[in-house]
Amino acid sequence: MTVASQVKQTLASLKGARGTLSMYTAQTSVDETQSVYTNSLEIADNIINDLEDRLKALEFEEPQYEGN
Amino acid sequence: MQEPIYTIIRSLALFFLVWLSIRLIGKRNISRVKPFNFMSYIVLAVVATLMSLNLIDLISGFIVLLTWLVLPIALDFLSIKSEVVHQLINGKETVLIKHGKIMEENLIQVRMTGEDLLAELRSKNIFNLTDVEFAVMETNGEINAYLKSDKKPVSAHDLGKKLAPQAEPQTVIMDGNILIEPLFSLGLNQEWLNVELDKMGVALENVFLGQVDSSGDLFLDLFDDAVEIPQPKVKELLYASLQKVQADLSTFSLQTNNKNAKGMYIRNSQKLDNLLDKLRPYLLN
Repeated sequence: MTVASQVKQTLASLKGARGTLSMYTAQTSVDETQSVYTNSLEIADNIINDLEDRLKALEFEEPQYEGN
Repeated sequence: MQEPIYTIIRSLALFFLVWLSIRLIGKRNISRVKPFNFMSYIVLAVVATLMSLNLIDLISGFIVLLTWLVLPIALDFLSIKSEVVHQLINGKETVLIKHGKIMEENLIQVRMTGEDLLAELRSKNIFNLTDVEFAVMETNGEINAYLKSDKKPVSAHDLGKKLAPQAEPQTVIMDGNILIEPLFSLGLNQEWLNVELDKMGVALENVFLGQVDSSGDLFLDLFDDAVEIPQPKVKELLYASLQKVQADLSTFSLQTNNKNAKGMYIRNSQKLDNLLDKLRPYLLN
């Protein structure tokens, strides 16, 4: 497995976790919990952005593995 | 032949009258009622009995009923307004144990022996007198004890542990029927409930009880106890997958030779680590 595909996998599971988290943000009826979740969503978004940038750089470096 | 019919009519009328009176006097647990109110309950009951048996005439019976109905209500209102009246009617609570020492004079005043006190404390699950810092007999005769600080039950606060706030769960399915109002109060609808039931593979008719907790997870109890349904573990899974991502990020930071990328991985892995600490009480409880 190449580095790019490993990062891709991690990115995918982070995106999945982010989805579940945003579902709970919508579902919960306690305000305090909701604000903690919203805050977490922002952090997750930041990390997702960073990883996506890294992925682009990796695919640029190893174009033969692009799409794997 | 007329007499029994009159008795029945009288009894029925009085039944509703007394029921109304008791409701008017107020909502109280009968075992914790103040002695004064207890007395008015008894008088109401006895007078109603005498009236329905025609042992006293109806007019004077009604007057007695009315007096014993209005007086307690009036005194209740007065005692809310005035502390003096409150003490006059209900008496004052008596301190029985102070700073861990029994107040013998007060014990005599409420006519209790040491054994009585111990028995009362035992009924509160306190077997050791030295555990008690303070105990008081309330005006209704109940004894309440305050334990010494090192003997009190441990709370999450004592352990320095943060817990997520939780609102009360709402019952949304009862006996196979959807309860609309609690569902709406959570901001959910029937469509959502149907989707959740489908996810668990359960038909609505088979559900005896369904509750939604404050995080929006649905818990079910089925009529058929042999059927095992998966309890929601989504939050635990979410926490685990975030942990996995965090571990991945630190692995990447070790593997890469690119300085920028290394910094980015380390930074994000730390961010995620902090996030996991913060989410822990909310996702794992």
